[in-house]
Amino acid sequence: MATAMTCTRLTIFTVAGIFLQIIGLSIFVFGFFPVKPTLSGVSGSESYRDPFCDSSPNSNESELHSEKLRLHYQELSGISLKYDRLVLMVIDGLPAEFVLGKDGQPPRDVWKESMPYTQSLLANGDAIGYHAKAAPPTVTMPRLKAMVSGAIGGFLDVAFNFNTQAFLEDNLLGQFFRIGWKMVMLGDETWLKLFPGLFMRHDGVSSFFVKDTVQVDRNVSRHLPDQLNSDDWNFLILHYLGLDHVGHTGGRNSPLMAGKLKEMDDIVRTMHLRAVMDRTHDQGQTLLVVVSDHGMTDNGNHGGSSYEETDSLMLFIGLSSNFSDYGAAINNVAFQVDLAPTLALLFGVPIPKNNVGVVVPGTLSSLRDYEQLRALELNSWQLLRLMQAQIPSSLFEGFSCNCFVDGICKGLDISECSGEKEKQLICLFRNAALLHHIWKSKKLTKSSGAVEDFSRALDAYNAFLKTASEWLASKTTEKPVFLLGLGLSAMLLSCIVCATLFLSLFKEVYHEPKDRVCSLSYRLNLEEVFIFALLLILVISMGSSSMVEEEHYIWHFMVSTFHLLILFKTAKLFDFSKGRNILGDYKAVSIFLLLISGRLLRGWHQGGVNWTYLPDISKWLEQVGSGYVKWIQLISNIIVIGLGLFTLSRTGSKKKSVCVLALGFLTCGLLVLLHAGRYQDEMFEVSTEFGATVIVKVIYFLLFISAIGAALVLPWSMLNKDKSFLAEAGDCLYLIGSAYILCWCLLHLLLQQPINSGPIILLLIQILAIPCLSSNDVQVNEWVEIGALYYMGMAGHFALGNSNTLATIDVAAAFIGISSHSTILSGILMFMITYASPMLFLLSLVMYVGAKLRNQSHSTISTHRETSLGQILKLKLGFPCLVPLCINSVLLTAYTVVLLLMRNHLFVWSVFSPKYLYVCATTLCTYIGVCIVAVTVTYAFFVTTFRRSNRTTRHDNS
Amino acid sequence: MKEGKKKKPETSIGESISALGAFFVYLITGLFLAVGFWVVRDKYSVDLISDPSLTLRLLWMIEFPIVVIIFSLFRSNPKKCSYFRAVGRSIVGLISGAIINALGAVSLGAPVGMQSLPKTVHWSFLMSVFTVVPATAVFGASWTNWHRVFASLKPTGNIEYMILIPAYGAIIGGWFGAWPMPLDWERPWQEWPICVCYGAIGGYIVGQLVSLSLMIFLRKHKNLKLA
Repeated sequence: MATAMTCTRLTIFTVAGIFLQIIGLSIFVFGFFPVKPTLSGVSGSESYRDPFCDSSPNSNESELHSEKLRLHYQELSGISLKYDRLVLMVIDGLPAEFVLGKDGQPPRDVWKESMPYTQSLLANGDAIGYHAKAAPPTVTMPRLKAMVSGAIGGFLDVAFNFNTQAFLEDNLLGQFFRIGWKMVMLGDETWLKLFPGLFMRHDGVSSFFVKDTVQVDRNVSRHLPDQLNSDDWNFLILHYLGLDHVGHTGGRNSPLMAGKLKEMDDIVRTMHLRAVMDRTHDQGQTLLVVVSDHGMTDNGNHGGSSYEETDSLMLFIGLSSNFSDYGAAINNVAFQVDLAPTLALLFGVPIPKNNVGVVVPGTLSSLRDYEQLRALELNSWQLLRLMQAQIPSSLFEGFSCNCFVDGICKGLDISECSGEKEKQLICLFRNAALLHHIWKSKKLTKSSGAVEDFSRALDAYNAFLKTASEWLASKTTEKPVFLLGLGLSAMLLSCIVCATLFLSLFKEVYHEPKDRVCSLSYRLNLEEVFIFALLLILVISMGSSSMVEEEHYIWHFMVSTFHLLILFKTAKLFDFSKGRNILGDYKAVSIFLLLISGRLLRGWHQGGVNWTYLPDISKWLEQVGSGYVKWIQLISNIIVIGLGLFTLSRTGSKKKSVCVLALGFLTCGLLVLLHAGRYQDEMFEVSTEFGATVIVKVIYFLLFISAIGAALVLPWSMLNKDKSFLAEAGDCLYLIGSAYILCWCLLHLLLQQPINSGPIILLLIQILAIPCLSSNDVQVNEWVEIGALYYMGMAGHFALGNSNTLATIDVAAAFIGISSHSTILSGILMFMITYASPMLFLLSLVMYVGAKLRNQSHSTISTHRETSLGQILKLKLGFPCLVPLCINSVLLTAYTVVLLLMRNHLFVWSVFSPKYLYVCATTLCTYIGVCIVAVTVTYAFFVTTFRRSNRTTRHDNS
Repeated sequence: MKEGKKKKPETSIGESISALGAFFVYLITGLFLAVGFWVVRDKYSVDLISDPSLTLRLLWMIEFPIVVIIFSLFRSNPKKCSYFRAVGRSIVGLISGAIINALGAVSLGAPVGMQSLPKTVHWSFLMSVFTVVPATAVFGASWTNWHRVFASLKPTGNIEYMILIPAYGAIIGGWFGAWPMPLDWERPWQEWPICVCYGAIGGYIVGQLVSLSLMIFLRKHKNLKLA
């Protein structure tokens, strides 16, 4: 930099850099995560014709009456319809393991005995079950969309999961509606949001109260007698949420699980006996399909892609064919998306346009042989249409309309398929179509060998369908290169801007007195090297999927190493000639405090993915009894209040405003304690009592008022004539900062799970111990300390039980104190809960700046007298804002590159993409935190300057 | 910092040692480490992976006497301090060094359950033999020497190089040795403290080589200066 940065220029450049980053990030995110379906429109009668024929949609089709359309479809399809009523029973969060067991073994006894009727159906061959593999993210809405449309939705669906909107893609429900089916929906209101206006009758229940495990299901079941007695519906959807809620509150082995399974089993029995077996109503046969949208981990969470979460159930009850073998009934594997084509073919509607699923083989066995092949042919045609949109049409040369029927297609011989994937797919299709044609002609002439030809055609179709489905599913993730490049380069540019700003400030602060030649030979000391090395190590480790999964190890290890380095440095500066000085002891104690609390934080939650079963403090506490957790909660609450009052009193000012602030804390703390004591222990009850909500709202209000009020009022009320400008501003910022972090801690004592109150208090202790390091004799640079604070915040993030999978987000707590469903409010709460620790450390920067100012004002009392306000702001606020932004920007950019490199990795959707969402959220958190710090500090400085200038003018006047 | 610049009077340093002598010392310690591994494998037919705590115990029990015997010869102030006193204080050093090492390891994340307790204990004894024991044998309770060598990193004389560099080598090696632990390679040696142990031994040996070359280099340097 030729000239020194002024404060304004620094600000402008920083803001510009941030905006560039935001733009780049949003471009990249929308380019990387697919949001659009491949084909638009809705399948119609053209789906029963060869895809190479002219498939202009039949113009008069849309005007057809629904009944006529149904007959039209039936005539075209050539498959007889066995069923005319469908009951789809969705059991939210039921792992297939509960019903079908795992690895060919029957389920564990406790589950088996809870579902006697379902097990007997499986044993008798009345039912056939599938492990239906769900695609991540395993959250309800995307999974429902996948089931009814057969398409794999974009990953960003998870972001919209809390903001359900009408589902506009081609789907089964729309197809059924078009042929005039009457549909009834009972259960999760997500269905109503996805398909508004399609249901003849509905009663939606909200999945809002996660702790309610009883009433949600009762609200569904109470309608069943009415629905079973009436004959007017064709399609009944039952969506039971209770089991998912049981999982969320108590995990897989919750004591409530057996009862819930029994309840579900009773409903299966009712539906089987009353709807499937009972033929008294004048209509045909009913098919009962029991599915689950996703599974759950041992803790009852879901969202990720582990086997436990993706192992969802698909159970067909009432198929006419009989499966005599219990083993054969439970050992089947399918994909969740396969439900859409299967139901479409069984009920005579066109397969939804963007379906990538394959008809489930076992469900067709009741059909006649030509119908089976026809069904496979229809499925193949649909997939081929989807492929045509993605494969250059030149590869389809040699196909023409009905060329297999007429026998005029080119290359009419069965061949081994190899080579490029696209060519291989077309070859597989040609083989299947040819074999089908051969079988048909043989059947017409009644020549021999038809049976072998039939099975050959069947195999050929299945081979094509399987390969095509996999290929299409992988194609869903194709990326627009230009957008990605643009986004990435914008992020790189902003990263460079941030780094340049940091370096220029760095040069200015640390080499102001020296000349420039000397600045080149500046020697970094150990901690500075370490902070850089840690950044480098993090960037490198992000390229390995297991390091992403186990990221918490790096943070804890590195933060502890940093503390040890500081300890080493303190020992190095320990002066024997002076003997033991109190300051040094104090510092050593605070370092040991940091080390101990860091170790406890590390041991609190055994995070990550691979070693979650290892013992940790939280598991141990829960084992020895919830009473201890209660005690910890109580103690940490008292400690937070005590530390808060102590910190406030440390400034030594007995101002009225400080007393009001202290009083506010005391009230809030006691209210949090009250709430914890009275309402939080009712784990399995609906804690939606009026009293609890009111208390929580009062706490929110008080905390908000205390924090904002402190920031606004304190700079005006601090008046001390003896102190210098910097000392005054320092005192004031110190108070505001402590008000911020105490409010934040109290809020999290309220919001977080009771077990997390331990880590919160440890984090608070760490924050209070850090300023002790920056006393005058240990020369740890300011930016090193800020960097360390950022790192400690990230270590704390994992210590609060977070990980890089979406499953650890605490959804249940996001509804505390909200009385009506609000996506935005609960989203904000969820964000605050997840980012409690990084935010806490960012907020503590206000206190840090204050403490620095106070320290400095003691030592160098008159150096800054002449410098302008802008210069002071730049020097004091530059690093606290730039260091977190720089670190975050480097990590974000590096991880974007990693994600691009890993786009074809096996774990891209399960490991790298969730981590990317976390990185984006961390970026947001950093922006918010830095913004708060910058605004608060600037405001305090301006107010103090204003008051002092006022005072001096008044002084001069008098 | 200031203290390091002061020249120590020669009397405080005991018998000095040449680079060749240092080489033989290293050869003997290395040999006994190898002997330790051989005993473990041939007499007890276990190794570090199958029974880490037994292996580590045997290793430090074999290595400790030889380190004490050798380094007590180079004790500072040999007139005031008898050979047996040096041996005695290095036993104290062994225990206190083990405690410090164990605390350091735990603070960096070593498991603390009852299962891993014997492993941690024996690992920290071995680390103590590498790091603290030679220094106690030589310096005793002279805190200024400790501070000068270990904190200010200002060793004077070959024997202090022999104390300082392998000790830090072992610590840094152990630190890097912990790196593969969270990876999901599912190898048995990723358990605590096996790979940390390999790292520490590796670092110790690298430290010996570095100190040896430093000694040779510095002596040449000095000779050049003198000439």
